[in-house]
Amino acid sequence: MFESRPTNATESAADVKHWPFRSVLIANRGEIALRVLRTVRRLGLEGIVVYHAADRGAPAVRQADKAVEIAGSTPVAAYLDTAQILDAARNTGAGAIHPGYGFLSENAGFARAVEAAGAIFVGPKPEQIELMGDKVRARAFVAKAGFPVAPSAIEDDDPNTFVERARAVGFPLLIKPAAGGGGKGMRIVREPSALGTEIERARSEGRRYFGDGRLYVERYIENPRHIEVQVLGDAHGNVVHLYERECSVQRRLQKIVEETPSPALDEKTRQSICETAAGIARKAGYRNAGTVEFIFGRGEYYFLEMNTRLQVEHPVTEETTGKDLVFEQLRVAAGEKLGYAQADIRPRGHSIEFRVYAEDPAHGYTPTTGPVLALHPPSGEGVRVDSGIVQGQDVTAAFDPMLAKLIVSGRDRAEAVARADRALANYVLLGCKTNTAFLRRLLRHPAFVAGEIHTGFLDAHPEIAAEPEAAPALLQKLLAAAALVTRPVKDAADAVPAMHAAMGHWRN
Amino acid sequence: MHHAFKLGEVEHELWLSHSRGDYQLHLGDSLIPVALRRDDHGRCFITTGETTTPVTFAVRGDEVHLHIDGAAYTLRYRHPMDRLAAQAHHGADDAIRAPMPGSTVAVRVKPGQSVARGEALLVMESMKMETTITAPRDGVVESVHVVQGQTFERDTTLVSLVAEGAT
Repeated sequence: MFESRPTNATESAADVKHWPFRSVLIANRGEIALRVLRTVRRLGLEGIVVYHAADRGAPAVRQADKAVEIAGSTPVAAYLDTAQILDAARNTGAGAIHPGYGFLSENAGFARAVEAAGAIFVGPKPEQIELMGDKVRARAFVAKAGFPVAPSAIEDDDPNTFVERARAVGFPLLIKPAAGGGGKGMRIVREPSALGTEIERARSEGRRYFGDGRLYVERYIENPRHIEVQVLGDAHGNVVHLYERECSVQRRLQKIVEETPSPALDEKTRQSICETAAGIARKAGYRNAGTVEFIFGRGEYYFLEMNTRLQVEHPVTEETTGKDLVFEQLRVAAGEKLGYAQADIRPRGHSIEFRVYAEDPAHGYTPTTGPVLALHPPSGEGVRVDSGIVQGQDVTAAFDPMLAKLIVSGRDRAEAVARADRALANYVLLGCKTNTAFLRRLLRHPAFVAGEIHTGFLDAHPEIAAEPEAAPALLQKLLAAAALVTRPVKDAADAVPAMHAAMGHWRN
Repeated sequence: MHHAFKLGEVEHELWLSHSRGDYQLHLGDSLIPVALRRDDHGRCFITTGETTTPVTFAVRGDEVHLHIDGAAYTLRYRHPMDRLAAQAHHGADDAIRAPMPGSTVAVRVKPGQSVARGEALLVMESMKMETTITAPRDGVVESVHVVQGQTFERDTTLVSLVAEGAT
């Protein structure tokens, strides 16, 4: 648990006493509400949560100093309802609002409304949310500042020179319809000689799918890896990075496993990509914790986007740097200076996060539901579990299928992987199918062991998602246990006199 | 008659009997001494033959949930009467169940309507994706159990077909 790690030298009751807020309302749910609440309470601040009726029994609701019920046409709608959340803040006298991730965390309008209501938004300035939320503007901003974005050419900039400019982007390249989405009409071009024909094909596809034949091209990275850098800025212009996380294990563009340090980077590239991220944040005058995402392949990296909030996978950074990121967010929101320099951040060891999802990997990763009949999360050295579920609750389709996060750390990657295998094996959750057995198959795969995963890896290896047939010895144990705990089966055995049974093998 | 448990899509037949105060499992042609014991700390162990393994279990209706050897499994007890009934009129294809939790976008059929194999019965939505539920065989719709907009869990019966031979 990161609480047992060295905490920040600047963390003291005296500092917190001078903060402009005494209470924090958490506008979120599940594991992240509990995670934020833990730091808020540890600092001696009052923790307030809002919740929809579907979350009434959730741990964050039970542990909060105050909990305010909010309503909505769906449970998700309640957590997106700015007016109700601000009412709850006013009625409870909340001094600050922490948005967690998802929901309203990257909504500039919400950030403005919080400030207008006289509370402090634990996040960046609204303009920064807006800048990074507009992917085209963000890309232009980063490129203008001299940081690497994937080379590209936009037809609209000057249609007459488009083919020429496309050729200058370099190969392989990707042609995308300007009006496109969802991968439709995209074409990969590897040979310069094919460029002309492919542009014409993409144009006719664009017209067919989107009624718009305008195109743009972008350098294509084969088997790319997703690498992101944690940054932290205060309101006084200080920015540091907290090193990288690799999140290349994905299914349907959603992350499943994240780790730090990245096995893909050598020391020189690591310094370069981390300094680039800090540079981008510095250029934006960024305040709060944030994440700069890059696409990486063949030693090159390009800016993808910046997330202006706490990430799901922030715990691996906490484990290796010893920094409590929620505490850092609150300090910055309180107007404190970071108070440390880049050289003071010295990560150690290796940390990996596994997202425990209510889903069935063998059936296309479809969500599963059910009651949580038994729940025994693993523990042990290097094992941290951030979870928002309790035994006895129902897992429903109302929310995201992420149930918990298992974060496992070790002195090096091999130790972390070995500990993770044990922890996943000991993660008992009965009643609702989860992906823990799949995660064990994944971490034993030679490509994962070697640290050679790219974002298309799981699609290319469907055998990892497939459920292996139970071996005969395991099947015997399963059927024996099932027989012994099932009333009709045991009753039938008890009803037959022992002598009759002793006659030998029962036959039909 | 045998008992049966379903693990995944496979049904396993077995019988349990007594032997000198203990139990034995009849599985195929083998006869295996089995026992379930709880220690002083409340931990459970399943013994099959010479092997003893820690186990965590939870029973809910006909479902037995087990955590054994580092993974969770769900077995479903099949009542002898249900199995007989299913065998009598190939019941597996009579109830069309939800492949995943979701909600009904559109219902395409009415009770009494004849449908051909592969014909759309209803459209459901899950994870922002629409899935069309089709008829597994030719038949006649007996009843539709959901209405448009209704949410349901996985395995909920959505549409029933009139049992084959019943018409």
